[in-house]
Amino acid sequence: MFLKKILRYGSVISRCKQISINNNCPRSFQLSANRYEEQKDKKSLVLKDTFENIQNKNKNSYLEMVKIFVSRDHIYRRGHVEFIYSALKNMEEFGVNKDLEVYKALLDILPKGKFIPQNMIQAEFMHYPKQQQCAIDLLEQMEDNGVMPDIEMESLLLNIYGKRGYPLRKYWRMMYWMPKFKNLSPWPVPDPLPKDTFDLAKYAIERISSVDVNSVVSVYQTVDIPDSIDDTWIVSAQSKIQRRLLSEHKIEKPIFVEGAFRIWIKGNPINYFVLRGDPKPVLLEDKDPDDVSDLKVSLFNIKPPTAKHVKVIPSVHEQEDGVIFSVCATGTSSKDSLLSWIRHLEKDGYPNLGKVPVVFKLKSVSREIANLETETEEENKKIEET
Amino acid sequence: MFSMWKFVQYPLCRQGKRTFHTSPTLNAFWERDDKGGYRNLDNMPPLKDRLREGLHELKNEIKLWTQEVKERFEDDPILIFRPGEVDVKWRFGNEESLKNWNITSDSDNKEGFSKASLTLTEQGKALFSGNLSMRVPKDGRVKRSGYCSMKTHRARKSFKRDGHLDWTAYNMLVMKVRGDGRSYLLNIHCKGYYDLTWNDMYHYVLFTRGGPYWQVARIPFSKFFFGSKGRVQDMQRQVQLDRVASFGITAGERYGGDFALEIDYIGLEFDPNHREEFAYEMYRTDSYIAST
Repeated sequence: MFLKKILRYGSVISRCKQISINNNCPRSFQLSANRYEEQKDKKSLVLKDTFENIQNKNKNSYLEMVKIFVSRDHIYRRGHVEFIYSALKNMEEFGVNKDLEVYKALLDILPKGKFIPQNMIQAEFMHYPKQQQCAIDLLEQMEDNGVMPDIEMESLLLNIYGKRGYPLRKYWRMMYWMPKFKNLSPWPVPDPLPKDTFDLAKYAIERISSVDVNSVVSVYQTVDIPDSIDDTWIVSAQSKIQRRLLSEHKIEKPIFVEGAFRIWIKGNPINYFVLRGDPKPVLLEDKDPDDVSDLKVSLFNIKPPTAKHVKVIPSVHEQEDGVIFSVCATGTSSKDSLLSWIRHLEKDGYPNLGKVPVVFKLKSVSREIANLETETEEENKKIEET
Repeated sequence: MFSMWKFVQYPLCRQGKRTFHTSPTLNAFWERDDKGGYRNLDNMPPLKDRLREGLHELKNEIKLWTQEVKERFEDDPILIFRPGEVDVKWRFGNEESLKNWNITSDSDNKEGFSKASLTLTEQGKALFSGNLSMRVPKDGRVKRSGYCSMKTHRARKSFKRDGHLDWTAYNMLVMKVRGDGRSYLLNIHCKGYYDLTWNDMYHYVLFTRGGPYWQVARIPFSKFFFGSKGRVQDMQRQVQLDRVASFGITAGERYGGDFALEIDYIGLEFDPNHREEFAYEMYRTDSYIAST
């Protein structure tokens, strides 16, 4: 406490000296009121809207803001917690929410050594709780965004909060669990995910067709079909078995093009379509294998034994609700592009496909639109109420 | 003894409400309610109706009890491990099969805007679908939202006594599902007697392929990790398979939008080739560091 006072006095005295030197007037006396007026503009603690006001929102300007905050006051830096919270809130707009460097820069604002508990009681009862909670929230935001901390972060936290700090424990937990779950998905996608819909559609179709190892994903262009209206791409997948099934399909029976169904690739919805035939009839034999009442003794059997029926195990494409011949995603998801897809399949080795009646059973994904409306309605209602 | 405490503590807390709190109360030492304060008593029918309904229940409960007593004398528990055989625990196919499941989402507790439902499809499978909304209600209390969940009713014995499912003869969870590419969380709730164990849950992720194909997911119980109130715990242990209270699936991805998960059945299997007991190493930490 005493040390603090001396420090404070010291700085005031030194500043007074500076001012007096600058004014070239040794006799001028500095009143506290004057000092207050002078300092009022400089030391604003309120940090509201600082991040919102920036025009050019990118990583550089974000780090610049952090730098400005740090360089404003070295000795009596205050409002760290408020600054970090407002910085965390604006991360997404600056596009830095998945950037480890930025998180480290934010954490580096906090003073080293000051928040380390000095005795057992301080350590037990969460020394500097607001500051600790702030760091925990920062780490939690990292966790939510899938950013793994590194060893430098540990030393930072150790220097700020000490060995018994709760943020450091949170860090250790993260470093234990996050690597375990990071690559758990059996259908991994690159991180960061490409923004192009074509790439995403390719991932989606590859993911769907991973059910059959022999699947081949091919990309067609609608322009190659002379009568097509749209100019877009088609990502289609078909395996050897599916080719066989399609060639075995009877010409009289219709084939359905169904969709649009939805598959999610890490938060990105992709519409896909299915070329489906009617399900194959399942021959159910109601024979109890444990029933021994009707056993035929071969000794007394005059007739030769009947040949056992060989049942072909249905492939993965022959499902209860239909036989799936192919899966595709197109750039426009329009009926015309789907027609081009059928034409492409026809060109690819199924001349019979032109004779088969193809039924388009298309539905638009209308639920989303309805939801958007209700949400805005709810918003409006709330505004009116308030 | 335990339930006595509830009654003793309750009026004391009531008195405390009159005083002015400068900081939020910390209920770290005991839980008042096994539903964590989410018990909705608004739509409770009047006492008279409840009494009448209770008497109706009595008939079924006695039936259940006689069944239990009979089973006690007649049946022996299955002690044979049958490798490779899937015992289906929940199969969907009719409206009756859906009644065992409880569907909740954050909008039920006015903590969000997600909606969910469990319906039957044309093929007679269960469809757990809905809309996940990340929108946080502007009440200043809720920080994050966006979850939908389906959960079985708690396993019970006759006269509404708490029971447990015994899954010790198995080491795999087998599910036939058709998802939409999202990942879902599987929850095995092992609710115990004391308030400390009310929220014990074991979790694992169910990744779905998406697309028109069904997938059979086989997840070993050794992979399930221990959590409580949605937080992974420091002191891990393997699932207490003899104390399973209920099973649930949660859609809680941090991406908003529609979700759909078709389920054919949920079963259990014993796989003798799976020798792993617990997938997570349990390091010894310094004292007073973990679980605090």
